[in-house]
Amino acid sequence: MKKTIVLGFAALTMVAMLSSCGKVPQEKIDAANAAIDSAKVAEADVYLAADFTAVQDSMSAVMADIEVQKSKLFKKFGPANEKLDRILTMAQQLKVNAAAKKEEVKKEVEGLMTEVATMMEENGKLMKKAPRGKEGAAVLEQMKAEMTAIEATITEAKGLYDNGKYMDASNKMKAAKESATKINTELNDAIAKVKVKK
Amino acid sequence: MRPFYKYILLTISIFLILGGGVSLFYYSIPTPPVGEVEYALASLQQASQSKAQRYSKKTYKKAKACFDSAMKHWNYQNKRFILKRDYQKVSYFAKKSAKLAKKATRSSSNLSKNLVITVRENIDKLSELIDNMNQLFHRLPLPEDYRNKISKGKILINEANVEFKKGDYLSASEKISVAEELIMGSYKKSLDDMEEYFNSQPYWNKLVRNTIRNTANNNSMAIVVDKFARKLYIYQNGLKKYEFEAEFGKNWMGRKRLKGDKATPEGIYLIKSKIPAKKTKYFRALLLNYPNAADIAYFNQEKAKGRIPKNAHIGGLIEIHGDGGKGTDWTDGCIALTNADMLKVYKIVEPGTPVVIVGSIADFNTVASNLNIKRSHTKG
Repeated sequence: MKKTIVLGFAALTMVAMLSSCGKVPQEKIDAANAAIDSAKVAEADVYLAADFTAVQDSMSAVMADIEVQKSKLFKKFGPANEKLDRILTMAQQLKVNAAAKKEEVKKEVEGLMTEVATMMEENGKLMKKAPRGKEGAAVLEQMKAEMTAIEATITEAKGLYDNGKYMDASNKMKAAKESATKINTELNDAIAKVKVKK
Repeated sequence: MRPFYKYILLTISIFLILGGGVSLFYYSIPTPPVGEVEYALASLQQASQSKAQRYSKKTYKKAKACFDSAMKHWNYQNKRFILKRDYQKVSYFAKKSAKLAKKATRSSSNLSKNLVITVRENIDKLSELIDNMNQLFHRLPLPEDYRNKISKGKILINEANVEFKKGDYLSASEKISVAEELIMGSYKKSLDDMEEYFNSQPYWNKLVRNTIRNTANNNSMAIVVDKFARKLYIYQNGLKKYEFEAEFGKNWMGRKRLKGDKATPEGIYLIKSKIPAKKTKYFRALLLNYPNAADIAYFNQEKAKGRIPKNAHIGGLIEIHGDGGKGTDWTDGCIALTNADMLKVYKIVEPGTPVVIVGSIADFNTVASNLNIKRSHTKG
């Protein structure tokens, strides 16, 4: 009888040893993944691409760690738990930061739109004052074509802005600003030259 | 042996058997390819840092898919009984992923390095071409379509510059490609149009030489108009006496075909009459005998071929007149001089004076060389 009890105890100990593995932190994994998805929805991959990639990389590393632990006889998910907590915080913060960055770019585009619109209006006025002497008119013809191209770019940028693609809109508006500034400088220089001659 | 010792011996034996069993069990557990998976993960991260998702999209995607497969197999094996696990596929996919990730990193680095150079080179090349084209714009009545394409191309160069500064060389390269297509295309077409126009140059040259010879032989005067040079010359007794700047119709390049085409005619004409200040709104004018017989024949031929509308008119009232000096081609087909120059011409010439209007006295190569026009711009 005593022998059976001892053997039973030993078998239970072994079963307990084998099944004493920690539990996979599934809830934390799901929470971290949801936070990463949420950051992506907030366009963190567009506005804070490097940070977003870093969070994704960290998540992949933790998932590999978890599989390592799952492969073991004695599982230990403590470090993975801690990492998942950190990833959750990072992803949540990333979502907030991405939204802030998006707003910042949006404001920047709005500023550029106002600035370029003012410059285009000024260019229109300057064109009327610009000298039309030898070859001047031909240059103005070309400038008119360029002003039309700038207007088209502004319209494209507005379309992108309306669709919430602020980064693309920003790129277009920066290009439009450069072109408008160049025309503005050329017109002012031409007008100034005429004044000096007088 | 006393029972006490028997029990101790039995307990030790049980523990030894159990320990041996556990040890045997423990060492029979298959080992997962942790190192290979970690290496694949590190390789993927390296690829990601080198922006392989952007510059080596396909290879990076494959590497990522292999890594995901490795993880999926690992997860599947971990669900099986511990001794029955097989990590061969995990290892296979992890190795493949690492290899592909390394390849993606290399190709991404190479591509981005090359793009930095080629985008910069293309921006410089296109900027040089635009400078070159600006000289052409002053002379050629380029179709609005060409002009618009070039303007769009210029904006795209600026957009490419913005992307380039941000380090997005692929976007910059894409923008430059479109800009190149627009600008090069328009430049090439402009040159083609110009070269085609200059096909008549030997004939023009002959006309001018004959006209000058006639003035020498007959001790007479003739007007020679070189549209490309934007000049009006007065020859007397075989010698060039005067030279004036001239402006033409907006579409001066080519023959006048019909009324309202804003083209300045080409050919041999005569001063039909002198129009004083009171009878013209352009200071003073010399009316030419356009259309002449050759113009009428050409007009009828074009009409017969259906190249011009059936109800089209040939036009008329082509003059050499004042109010020029605007710096552009603005007339409806007439030749405009500044008022001061017009006054001189008006005083010198009389009705019956021959007027030869040609596209260009100089040949294409001379003109191209003067304008620094290079066909090489359109190659490659």
